[in-house]
Amino acid sequence: MCASGCASSFWWPSAPGKSLFAVVAWLCACATGNARGADAADFEKRYAESVRPLLETYCSACHGKEQEAANKLDLSLYASIDDVGKAHARWQKAIKRLEAKEMPPDDAAAQPSEEERRAIIDFLKAFFAEQAKKNAGDPGPVVARRLNNAEYDYTIRDLTGVDIRPAQEFPVDPANEAGFDNSGESLAMSGALVKKYLQAARQVSEYVVFKPEGFCFAPHPVVTDTDRDKYCVKRIVDFYKRQPTNYADYFQAAWRYKNREGLGKPGATLDDFAAAGRVSPKYLQLMWATLTETKDEVGPIAQLQVMWNDLPAAEGSKIAADGREPEVVRGHCEKMRDYVVRLREKLEWKFANLVLKPIGPGSQPFVLWKDRQFATHRMTLNRSALQVAGETELAAADEKPDAEAEAGADDDDAAKKKMTLKKPVADPELTIPADPAGRARYEDAFERFCKVFPDAFYISERGRIFLDRPKDKQDKGRLLNAGFHSMMGYFRDDEPLCELMLDDAGQRELDAMWEELDFITLAPIRQHTGFIWYERAESHTIRGSEFDQFRSEDKDITSEAKIKQFAEVYLAQARKNAPEDGNAAEAIKAVEDFFDSVNAKLRWLEQAKLASEPSHIKSLLEFAQRDYRRPLSDAERDDLVAFYRQLKDKDGLSHEDAMRDTVASVLMSPHFCYRLDLEVAGPRQKALGDYGLASRLSYFIWSSMPDAELLECARKGELHKPEVMTAQARRMLRDERARGLAVEFLGNWLDFRRFEEHNAVDRERFPAFNNELRQAMFEEPIQFFLNMVRDGRPVLDLLYADYTFVNPALAKHYGMTGVTGAADHWQRVDDAGQYERGGLLPMAVFLTKNAPGLRTSPVKRGYWVVRRLLGEEIPPPPPNVPVLPTDEAQLGDLTLRETLARHREIKSCAACHDRFDSMGLVFEGYGPIGERRDKDLGGKPVDANATFPGGSEGEGLAGLRQYIKQHREADFLDNLCRKLLSYGLSRTLVASDEPLVEAMRKRLAQDDYRFNCVVESIVTSPQFLMKRDEEKLTSSDNFHSGGSLRSTPATR
Amino acid sequence: MRNFLQAASDKISRRTLLRGAGVAMALPWLETIPVWGAVSGAVGSVTDAAAMPKRFAALFLACGVNQNHWWAKGAGEKMELGKSLEPMAPFKSKINFVRGLFNKAATGVGIHPGQTGNLLSGVPLQKGAELRGGITMDQVLANHLGEETVQPSLVLGCEQPVTGYHETNFSMAYSSHISWQSSTSPVPMEVYPSLAFDSLFENHGNMRNRSILDRVQEQAKALAGEVSSGDRGRLDEYLTSVREVEKRIDKMRPELDKAKERAADQGKPLIAMKRPDDGLPEDIREHMKLMCDVIALAFQTDKTRVATLLLCRDISGLFYPFLDVRTAHHPASHDDLSDSYERITRYYVSQLAYLCGRLEAMPEGEGTVLDNSCLMFVSNMTSGSKHDNSKLPVLMAGGLGGTLETGRVLDYTNEGDDKRKMCSMYLSIMDRMGVKLDRFGDATTRLAGF
Repeated sequence: MCASGCASSFWWPSAPGKSLFAVVAWLCACATGNARGADAADFEKRYAESVRPLLETYCSACHGKEQEAANKLDLSLYASIDDVGKAHARWQKAIKRLEAKEMPPDDAAAQPSEEERRAIIDFLKAFFAEQAKKNAGDPGPVVARRLNNAEYDYTIRDLTGVDIRPAQEFPVDPANEAGFDNSGESLAMSGALVKKYLQAARQVSEYVVFKPEGFCFAPHPVVTDTDRDKYCVKRIVDFYKRQPTNYADYFQAAWRYKNREGLGKPGATLDDFAAAGRVSPKYLQLMWATLTETKDEVGPIAQLQVMWNDLPAAEGSKIAADGREPEVVRGHCEKMRDYVVRLREKLEWKFANLVLKPIGPGSQPFVLWKDRQFATHRMTLNRSALQVAGETELAAADEKPDAEAEAGADDDDAAKKKMTLKKPVADPELTIPADPAGRARYEDAFERFCKVFPDAFYISERGRIFLDRPKDKQDKGRLLNAGFHSMMGYFRDDEPLCELMLDDAGQRELDAMWEELDFITLAPIRQHTGFIWYERAESHTIRGSEFDQFRSEDKDITSEAKIKQFAEVYLAQARKNAPEDGNAAEAIKAVEDFFDSVNAKLRWLEQAKLASEPSHIKSLLEFAQRDYRRPLSDAERDDLVAFYRQLKDKDGLSHEDAMRDTVASVLMSPHFCYRLDLEVAGPRQKALGDYGLASRLSYFIWSSMPDAELLECARKGELHKPEVMTAQARRMLRDERARGLAVEFLGNWLDFRRFEEHNAVDRERFPAFNNELRQAMFEEPIQFFLNMVRDGRPVLDLLYADYTFVNPALAKHYGMTGVTGAADHWQRVDDAGQYERGGLLPMAVFLTKNAPGLRTSPVKRGYWVVRRLLGEEIPPPPPNVPVLPTDEAQLGDLTLRETLARHREIKSCAACHDRFDSMGLVFEGYGPIGERRDKDLGGKPVDANATFPGGSEGEGLAGLRQYIKQHREADFLDNLCRKLLSYGLSRTLVASDEPLVEAMRKRLAQDDYRFNCVVESIVTSPQFLMKRDEEKLTSSDNFHSGGSLRSTPATR
Repeated sequence: MRNFLQAASDKISRRTLLRGAGVAMALPWLETIPVWGAVSGAVGSVTDAAAMPKRFAALFLACGVNQNHWWAKGAGEKMELGKSLEPMAPFKSKINFVRGLFNKAATGVGIHPGQTGNLLSGVPLQKGAELRGGITMDQVLANHLGEETVQPSLVLGCEQPVTGYHETNFSMAYSSHISWQSSTSPVPMEVYPSLAFDSLFENHGNMRNRSILDRVQEQAKALAGEVSSGDRGRLDEYLTSVREVEKRIDKMRPELDKAKERAADQGKPLIAMKRPDDGLPEDIREHMKLMCDVIALAFQTDKTRVATLLLCRDISGLFYPFLDVRTAHHPASHDDLSDSYERITRYYVSQLAYLCGRLEAMPEGEGTVLDNSCLMFVSNMTSGSKHDNSKLPVLMAGGLGGTLETGRVLDYTNEGDDKRKMCSMYLSIMDRMGVKLDRFGDATTRLAGF
């Protein structure tokens, strides 16, 4: 815009001198408080008679018709002062240009006198001040807007509890003039997007998992059998793994309790130590009693008690002071544990397979029977493992143990091979006396031991159990499997855990999960059809034609009648071949029990499925209510249920499909996809209802839906009260969901929102730049910001802080030592100045983002500082600017700095570059990926000196900070307030927002520059609490400030 | 709401009508009305093979074939067929007998599930509790072509899946599913012919979205009455967008509507397949035949262009008293050179022949639906007794709209391993259906000479 010449125009009839006189006189009148003189008509008159002629004289030649489209001011559009009033933002820019004397440009044919310039500026400022005052607190134009992609994803996350991120498939949202993508100005809807919404809604509905009581969302889709299995099994196995089953932890906790005085905690209870040691209080009580209450004379518990009493005591105050205990304690406890585990292994049970030809040991009835034997004997003594002195037949010391019987995969083979139990080797730990009294005493002691220390608390994976393979040769990874071959089926074996360790709540939780496993996976049905298939295809048990009527695929194969028939035929075959011995009787009983239990489970499932449907409808209504972010009306509830019934009863969908489609429809509802700001009441400026406020607040601070507490405040009708709003805002800023604000507000404001996709770095030249480092760079400002918010640090820390936050990858990049741990471990580093870091300015993310790859870009870096951080308006560069080499090494004899200096010798370039080059040159000590450096890629020493606008000089980060502190701090604060306000209100600012911006600035200064205080200003402002009543707004009021929508992404 | 209810009940009655018609006619097939293009003699008939949709179906037989009787020689009408292939004799000029292809990732990993779950994907499978494989070629096709039809694909089976663990520690899910929608999830398989039939009609598949969109429209309309004019603009925008999507769904039907008109003109019902009864046909023969009928119907009326049919599962428990075989499929396959297993093989090939016959009877353009399709009959191994899958038996039928030359015997037995990949053939098939990928499974090149 500056490059073209400005030919002056003299066609305007009114002489400039006269206009000037008139406007100055009028301004004086305003200044003396003549309020009456400054009404709308007066502004109109002055504009027409005095200001407009000046603009025509000095500006119209360039700012003529249709310039607005080229993002330049088009004066022909502003015939009246009303027109000016409607374009607040544009004219604010114009004022800034005039003040900075960028306009008219130096090569213009005529320049206004200083007085004329002032007059125009003062008039416009007075006009906008008056506008602002008149409309102060106008809520401004906030139209219904769809959730943007980020909000959509966060909302789905908080609605379902699963971070599904369906919006990753959506097209990028366009940003509004303020640079944010959360306003109705820019968030358009299209058929293509609706299609994406539909896919997203369907995708989310596939995560719904239907339980006996209600539904919830699984961490992955649960439509297929295998996914349902995964979901149910994983939950149970995870639960098991969470249980504290390391005996050493219990011995240690018991020791601490015993030594509580020595440890300086005389008042602590056993439960306290259980909590501190993260062990089960219930089991710790038992352990304590076992170790201390009754003294065992013989056997393993007696041995443990000896070891226990050998534990050293906590030695008085020296240890108590720092809360430590002798290191030997842990080792001792581990020895006690190892003793228990070793001994317990020796006492394990062995059970022979049941066989009843042609039914093999791998058939379901027999495998389940064997599972049950193990499960019910985990806390009892296997007496046969003990060695009675002089009685038990022992292997000689040099005798090799018999080879473990290893059956092949085939059942018949397994049945043929008889298990040969090897003779035991003499073991003093298992030796008990032969005399009846002594033997009984020992056996009782072992029995007690087995009761306290089960051979396993739970079984989380099980190989084909009928093969009797040694533990290390068993199939791995068959979680919760019943031990079948090829058939699916689960078996629960966790009685010791329930009895010894879990409290009532834990037991209920585990019971529910096992019940849900059957319910969700339909395990009883699938296990039964698998049984029929296996007996036919794998074990050949059912070959006769009498079995032909039973097929896995038959729909009624699980009906009571069919099961009874099948049991009859199956049992008849079993009995036919049964030998007349006890083993056969037991086998037949196992088969009978099996069919009874199968039938019972199937009948339960049938009932549970039916009984669950009303609870799913209840869940649906609750879901819809959360989805709409407000209570449903009765009509809405009825309508929703009617829709489900429609799908189920008339369209013929199954219950689950109908439910899923209803869930999808709720997610497609405009009540969900749009932020509507409904519920308004009263004249002109309407107060937003409390639920509307809850959403405004939550989308401001979390970019997501309100949580239960916020909705509860709304339900009580308290949210509109300033103290409640403030308290909620404070709470929410401390919540981890405030990350939404950090990513969406800070990320878009400072233009790093899409840095996770940044691919401009040449990774061959900069191998240090990998995905992990990129992620860490992205995260640094977020961590910094969140910490600032949480700790109530001043916003000026963003500029001047001598600390920052790093994870191991970033610490390495910054040359900081001593930061270790996982990638998500972030720690604060003080005295960051020694590494030339601290605050936003030297963060690698900005330095990298604003470097084009193989060189730095003082232009981009400086431009980022003045435009993004300080809020200075800089016009876009003219076309045909010379392009710098992409690689510093190709600059030839000149340094980048010198090349830029040459560029600034061209006057039209200098007009802008003088304003920001210096602020990029100070970063020359940082290379293209923000790394510290002494030489540039061309091998020349770097020079980080700069002369800032206004003539002051400085070097590097310190120099820039000093310059900002002395000259630009107010700009930064003002910009921060404007950006945050614009983000918080989801719209571009208008003239009437000026008083609020002013108030925010003041509040910052008064309140130690704490970030939270400006948030509180915003959420208690009329702008935030009200909704504009558009029907009643007249054109001369405070309309949306216009400005063409940029169809660019929020950040680029 | 009233409109919506009205619309929904319309749909219902339409489907009920179809069912009713079928039942009333009590005739299994009357398919003489082409859906695409026009029958000869009809006014303004235009036929353009390129405009006809191309379809793909895979039919799976587990545990191999009787190799002694699995051969073909010669070309075209003069082709000679082994005994097990005799049912295909009427279609000699429309088939390709392919020998020697294999899936590297399915070899050397142990028998059965590890040989099956990646038959159509070519990627290695993971053992243990966590399922991991790859998306299969039929689902790749469905993802690309499925938006234009009621169902992206039909995934059918005649035997229920099982999901326990095999001795190789692979999940039996790999034995049960040949169609996988992602690396971790199989496509749920439909076993009931009645439900497979239903899935082709309104309110199913993509059509289910209509109900949702109808409801959303009602809501947006109602809401527009409650909000300010500015907000109303936004809701109107939403409404318009929703309608746009709905129209796209409706577009799936114009060809069908045309066909319906033609049918009405001739006084014939278009869809004349009787809805199968609920539950399962007692006879497996009836079951398989009905599944083939559903695929034929879906292809003819362009309800889907992709189908897989698991005629039996790997380690199948199906049994065949009607073939005079007393053992179930899996044990029978351990004696794969027996007469019994030859009868079983031939019986399965006859299912392919049946489907070919159905599609051949459906005129479409200047040819038939078969001419515009590609049916692939395949097993997870050649020899059930040796569990040998180093060279898979493959039999193709249909010319994919003239893009696939037929009547040939293609022998890749003596080619190097990288020139006889199943996935190379899949790339070649997908190419012809307009889905051009750089790589699929373990292949980056097309199958030479295909």
